Formats: sequence, C-alpha cells, structure tokens
Amino acid sequence: MKTLEKTLWSTWSRFLTCLVGAVLIGFLVPILTVVLVSFQSKSYLSFPPSDFSIRWYEQFLGNTDYQSAIWNSLAIGAASATLATIAGVCTALAVIRAAVPGAAVVSVLSVAPAVLPQIVLAIGLFPISVWLGLQGTLGAVILAHAVVGLPFPFITVCGALSSYSSRMEIASMSLGANAFQTFRLITFPMIRAAVVAGFIFAFAASLDELVLALFLSSPTTRTLPLLLWEQLNFQVTPEIAAAASVVLAVTSLLIVAAILLPRLGKDK
Amino acid sequence: MLVEGNGILSMKLRKFLLFAPTALLLTPFFLAPLFVIGAESFSGKQGAFGEYVKVVTDPGIRTVLYNTFYVALMVTFFSLLIGYPIAYVLARLKGRWATIGIFLIFLPFWASTVIRSFAWMILLGRNGPVNSAMVGSGLIDEPIRFIDNGVGLMIAMTYIMVPFMVVPILNGLRAIDVNLPRAAAVLGANPWRQFLAVTLPLSMPSIAVGATIVFVTSLGFFVTPSLLGGNRTVVSILISEQANRLLNWPLASALAIVVLLLTIVVFALLRLSQVMSRRRGSARAGALA
Amino acid sequence: MLQMPRRSDTSAQNSSVGGAAVSIRALSKRYNGLDAVVPTSVEIESGDFFAIIGPSGSGKSTLLGMIAGYIDPTAGQIVIDGRDVVPEPIYRRNIGMVFQNYALFPHLTVAQNVAYPLKIRGVPKDEIARRVAESLGMVRLEAFAARLPSELSGGQQQRVALARASIYKPSILLMDEPLGALDKNLRDEMQEEIKRFQQEMGVTVIYVTHDQQEAAFLADRIAIMRDGAMTQIGSPRALYEHPNSRFVAEFLGEASIFPLKSVSAGRAGEARQAVLEGGTPIRIRTDAEAGPGSFACIRPERVTVGPKAKALDNAFAGTVRESLYTPGSIRYRVELDGTGLSLKIRVLPQADMEFYEAGSTVDIGWSADDMSLLKE
Repeated sequence: MKTLEKTLWSTWSRFLTCLVGAVLIGFLVPILTVVLVSFQSKSYLSFPPSDFSIRWYEQFLGNTDYQSAIWNSLAIGAASATLATIAGVCTALAVIRAAVPGAAVVSVLSVAPAVLPQIVLAIGLFPISVWLGLQGTLGAVILAHAVVGLPFPFITVCGALSSYSSRMEIASMSLGANAFQTFRLITFPMIRAAVVAGFIFAFAASLDELVLALFLSSPTTRTLPLLLWEQLNFQVTPEIAAAASVVLAVTSLLIVAAILLPRLGKDK
Repeated sequence: MLVEGNGILSMKLRKFLLFAPTALLLTPFFLAPLFVIGAESFSGKQGAFGEYVKVVTDPGIRTVLYNTFYVALMVTFFSLLIGYPIAYVLARLKGRWATIGIFLIFLPFWASTVIRSFAWMILLGRNGPVNSAMVGSGLIDEPIRFIDNGVGLMIAMTYIMVPFMVVPILNGLRAIDVNLPRAAAVLGANPWRQFLAVTLPLSMPSIAVGATIVFVTSLGFFVTPSLLGGNRTVVSILISEQANRLLNWPLASALAIVVLLLTIVVFALLRLSQVMSRRRGSARAGALA
Repeated sequence: MLQMPRRSDTSAQNSSVGGAAVSIRALSKRYNGLDAVVPTSVEIESGDFFAIIGPSGSGKSTLLGMIAGYIDPTAGQIVIDGRDVVPEPIYRRNIGMVFQNYALFPHLTVAQNVAYPLKIRGVPKDEIARRVAESLGMVRLEAFAARLPSELSGGQQQRVALARASIYKPSILLMDEPLGALDKNLRDEMQEEIKRFQQEMGVTVIYVTHDQQEAAFLADRIAIMRDGAMTQIGSPRALYEHPNSRFVAEFLGEASIFPLKSVSAGRAGEARQAVLEGGTPIRIRTDAEAGPGSFACIRPERVTVGPKAKALDNAFAGTVRESLYTPGSIRYRVELDGTGLSLKIRVLPQADMEFYEAGSTVDIGWSADDMSLLKE
C-alpha cells in the first residue's frame, strides 16, 4: 500500500530505533560482566568463568576492610548529602524567590563544584584540612563531599521553584501565614520531590567520589571507592568483583525503591 | 499592611541569612582552597612564575597536557557520535518506551566510576572476552594491549560520559516544536533533509552544552586513567603524583591553576556562543511571539 | 453571535485556475482502540474554501494531519486530483500548510523560510530570489525579509507562514487554527486577508478552527465534527438555518431548544401541531417524522417582541427575566407564562423602539417556518 520510498524511510527509522535499543542494552554488558566473573573459584580473573562458586562473596563478607569502608562511605554520603541539601535549598530560595542582590554570583559559585576537576579542589583542601586539624577524619571528607554535592540540590530545587509562580507564596502570606508557615505548608510540599532528588544525587556523588577521599582520608576513614581503587591498583581479584557486585545490587535496590516509593505515597 | 523601617531591615537580613549555609560551606572549603592553590603556585623556588614557566616548557609536562587534551577531545567526539542517535531516538519515543529508554541510559550511570572502569579492565584485558573473541575469530593474531595503548581508556571514558551527552541533547530535542520537522516535510523535505534543515541546527545549542560538560569532565578525569591509562598519563594523575609522592606542591598547584583556567575558558566559550545565538534571535523561543 | 457572510461566487469562477478537488473516502484513524476519526467521506470541490469546526478532541486536527501526511490513516483514501495520496510520503504530496503557531523555522530569516520549499525543489537561485520577493510583496513583508521570525509580530508571522505555504503553488492549502494565537482585532483583519489571498490564488483550502464565526466568514462550506465524525456539512447559511442536530444548533450560534413530546401527522409543506415536554403546544413546519428524543429549536433573532407578535403562528405572553443592551443588539430572556419555558431573544435596536426592563410583561411570537426540528 505504501510507495517504496515511504517504506524505505520507515524501515530506516525502525532500524535506527532497534540499533539504539541494542546499544542501550549493550551498555549493561560491562556491568553484567563484573557480576559474572565474581561467581568463580579461581583466584585470578578468567573469562568466561569456568565454574560457579560463592567463595569470593564469603571472603568479602569476612573482610573487615570492606565493612569499615562501606560504613565510612554511607556515613560520609548521608552527612554530606544532608549538608549539601540544606545549603542548596536555602540558596535556591534566596536566588529564585528572595531576589537578593548578588544572586547571579552565588548561583555560579553553587554550580561550580560540579564542573571543577576534583583534583584541583583536593590540592587546595589538603593544606586547609591539615591546618584545621581535620586531616584524616571523617569530617574532612564530609565537608569536601558537601561542597561537591551542593550543585545537585541547588539545581533541582531552582528548577522546581521556577516551575511555579511565587504568587502562591504571596497568596499564603496574604492569608496570614508567616514566612516559616508558608515554607512548611506551601513551598516545601511543592519542592519536596526536587529536594529528595537533589539529596539522592548528592549522596550518589559522594558514594562515587574518589580523589578528595584519596587526599583527605586516613586508612581508618577510607571510603569504598577508594578501597576498591587501591585494591585494583594492587591486584585484580574476583573478590573485588564480588564487592562491586554487592554494591551494584544494593544501588539497584535503592533506585527501584526511589522509583516505587513516590508511587506508593500517591496511593494513600 | 504597614511595615516599619525596622521590619524591612529584618526582612532583608532574613533573606541574606538564606545564603549563610552556602557561604559557611563554600568560603572555607571551596574559595579558600582555590586561593591557597593560587598562592602556592607562585611560591616555587625558581621565582614567582617559575612553576608556570616549567609547565609551559617541560617536554614531559607538555606531553601530559597534550595527551589529556587529546583524550578529552576524542572522548567528547565519540560520546557525541554515540549519544546523539540515542538522544534522537529517545526524543521520538512516547509513553512507556521513553521511560524505559531513559531508565536504561541511567542504569550504568548509577554504578560507580571505579566499578565501571573495573568492568572495562576485565573486558579489555589481555585474556578478556574482547581479545579472546578477536583472536578466536582470526581477526588478530596476538591480543591487543588496550590498557596500555590509550584505546581502552578512551573506550571506558566514552562509556562513562555518554549519559552526560544524552541528557542535554535529549532535553534540547524535546524542546523542538514537533510541527517544525512536519512543516519541513509538508514543504517537500524528505526525512534526511528535515533533519539537516530543522532538527540538527535547532539542537546545536544542546550539543554545545553536552560537549562542554563531557569535555571539561574528561579533562579532570582521574579514576579511569589511573586504572586503564597504562603509561599514558593525564594531568590529574600528574598533579596527584607531584603533590602526594614528590611533595612538589608549587608545581602541583600551578598545574591545578592551569586546569582551572582551561575549565573556565571552555565554559566562557560556551556562554559566549549562547549569548551570540541569543542575539541572533532565540532559537528555543521558536516561532512563538 | 453569528455574522451572516455574503455568499461569494468568486470561488466558483476561480475553480479552474489552480485548486485541486479533494475526495476523502472512508478515511479513519484509530488510536489504541479508540476512534479518533470514524470512517469519513467528503467531497471538496476544486477552489472550495472548506472549513472543519468542532470542539477540541473532535478529531478535526487528526483529519487534517492525515490529509497533510504526518498522521497515517488506519483505513481509507485521500484522492487529490484523481490520485490517492495515502501511500505517498508527506514530502511528495505537494500540499501547502499553515500550522498552528505557524511553525516558522526560528533559525532562518523570513526570506530563507519562504525560500525553503523552492530550495528543496531545486529551483535556480535567481528564480528563488525573484519569487521570494514577489511572494513577500503579496503579503506586504518586503521590508522584513532579513528579520528572524522571533522579531516579527504575530500577524506578520502569520503572513510569512502564508507566503511560505503558497510560494510553490500547491493545489491545496491546509490551515490548522491559523488565527488561534492572534488577538480579536488582528484576527478580523487576517480573516479578510486570508479570504482575499485564497480568491487570488484560486487554491482549494481546508481550514480547521474551533471558532464558528471565523468559519462562517471564510468558508463556502463547513463541516461540523463531533466525536470523530462529521455530523453535518453545508454552507454556513444551511447549517445555521437548518441544523440537523441539537449539537450543531448549539455549536453554531445561539438557540432556544425544547424537547418535543409529539408531532401530529400532516401534509408535506404544511405547519404541524406539536407538543413540547411539559404540554405546551407549538406549531412547526417540517417534513420529518419526530417523537420523543427530538427537539424544537428557535433562533433568538427570529422571535418577535411586542404587539405584532400576537398575529404569529406561535404567540405567547411572557415575563422579561433579564434584559441587556449591548452594542448592536438588545438581548432578553423571557419566561413564557404558565409553561416554565424560557427563551433567548435578540432584537436589533431601532429608533423609538420600546426597551423592556426585567419584570415587564410582553407578547412574544414566532413563525412556524422559523422553527426547526432537531435530533439529539
């Protein structure tokens, strides 16, 4: 029923879609490879794995280095993301709603840590953290990661605040609510999703960060990516693959929860 | 409602208080470090600008800077090459398939950089699946040393950077009025000419954003080059070595300042291109008055 | 309020010049099991100005999209000058289209926008330049050739869109709510311009709008769409004076509509006795059979107010509930005594005419010829 020309174009379009679909699925291959090689018994990485064993998972579970690194990462992630979110939300409110002078400069500064190469910040932070007596403590890494995480809640909340008119808040004030009540009852419910998203991004950025941790932590405050990196530089073993697989599994669960939780909330 | 002078003052003060958390965070832990690096970079033994002279003249450092630039450029190019078709197809998908596509592109994004680099160490290793497949099929006789020749580094970094390219371009493509390619079609343009006349030029600003983000991030990459770079060093690793191992802080700081300036220059160029295109009439405002 | 258009005969004279005849045959579109357009057939004559009106979601834009080619029909044919274009790709159909919000290419100048279809067709450069200048002259935009669309006003953008859609002399021109983004005064002005443009070009126009006045002003024929189907097709006058359904009567202009209980049998062409729900008897001239589920309709300007009303087929005494003087007309809402029925009335103000305040009692009436019989 179609002319040949029309058929050719729609075939090309379908081919392109399939190709992109294949590429997107292909993007999962490297990650699945890590999981695949973790279930083998040999002490060096071989591909394809010749047998199946959970020996490296047992070893991983017994490894206190990993345990402390995971706890460090989670503690640093939670604390730094909280700091970043508080600072990001306040600054976004000031920039978008309060029309405070200097807003442009503050916005640029609040976004800059996301694009500044971390090695630059690390070089500069090291002497300061020594001078403040923070060097090697969790606090040093937390503060550094709060700086790196700040842009995410700032950007997401700015987006949310720009998406609706400030007349809502003015209306609330005109009905007799004070600034704090207005924030609690009107503003916060409107930006809640953006705050949560910003927090998650900041948390993820902290969990992924390595260079600042490399410069600012001590062996006892070592983070998980740092430990993985050190091990990889030393020797590549299936135990690292097992550790990475566990991290991947936990992250996936968190993402699924992050997608499903807001939906459950809507049903009530 | 009457507001007394005192009240206005306190309102203003309260507004400024909103800046307090960020100011308390960024002043000591972002601005001060930059200041420290700046000061440190001029404190070398060979006079104030000695370290900068060394950065410019030392052949080893120049090679590293060139290498960093080259890798960042190639990664940007390949990310665009792979990312644009992905964004283009995702922008045309609707409903559930669009959600699935975006979910898929973000999935590896959530795995940490160390783990994704590790994955490519396995895949591209001497006895890894890529080499065994190529040797097995008779394509090559000897395994290729991807990890040493810089190709593996670029593959892994491109893999990590593609989502950063896709997201801005996807947003840019979605902002294009669907009637514009349709209008080109009705006026006689086949799908390829529709793309050249409408979609590509209108997505240029978002390509610029994506390319800038990928390029700047690639300039500062540390993790992947340290694991897959072999003997091809990039500037982040050089800075880290100078500071950590050789304790040559002035040189490390001078290098950091160079990287910082490069980053600023690239973003300034992006900003300039945006201002220029806005002056020529906003592309994104579309035909809407 | 509906302006009665001067029925122009120009389109008939021009029909041989350039417009193509369009024949839509059993064209339909289903999305996810829902009918966006039910199988629809309509013949549009060469040089016709054919308007499609209907509420949003009625399928009018889907129909236009199928004719343009960017929506694939589920079934049916679109025959333009004897050729079914459905199998053809959109860019081979040689149709002109003015989009909602114009879809001007924002990165190209006015001249480049207008030149685009010629460039695609491989027209030599000097000829492009000449024809673009000519075309921009026709829409009085010569001075704006080097501007970008964003630097023009809404009306100017609309004229660029018109020039771009017509420069390659397509035999049919589709327009999708082309005046939707303009304010009232500009819209009236552009209506005149579009009408003049169509008559000069002799092109067949298919025009989608939700504005019934616009359609009545511009079109030779109007199709009213509802739920994916064309419920009635006809000249503006035919649709207004003889709507076949309550939907059409209400969509096009104002009307007082009453449910009917029964209509007595009678000879063709004679006024017949009918009874409304509630028992009020009226007289109506119709040949159609009707019973419960039918409606009787009277337009507000066909109702006579004052002593003269007593002599008409339908004469009632009523009480004015609302009265309103608006520029050009007086509007009343009158309740018919003892029936609970209420009527919308519009009269043209004339010298020494009596104005009835709310609360006053009046005689009202109308002829059996002015009533029409409607189905749901």
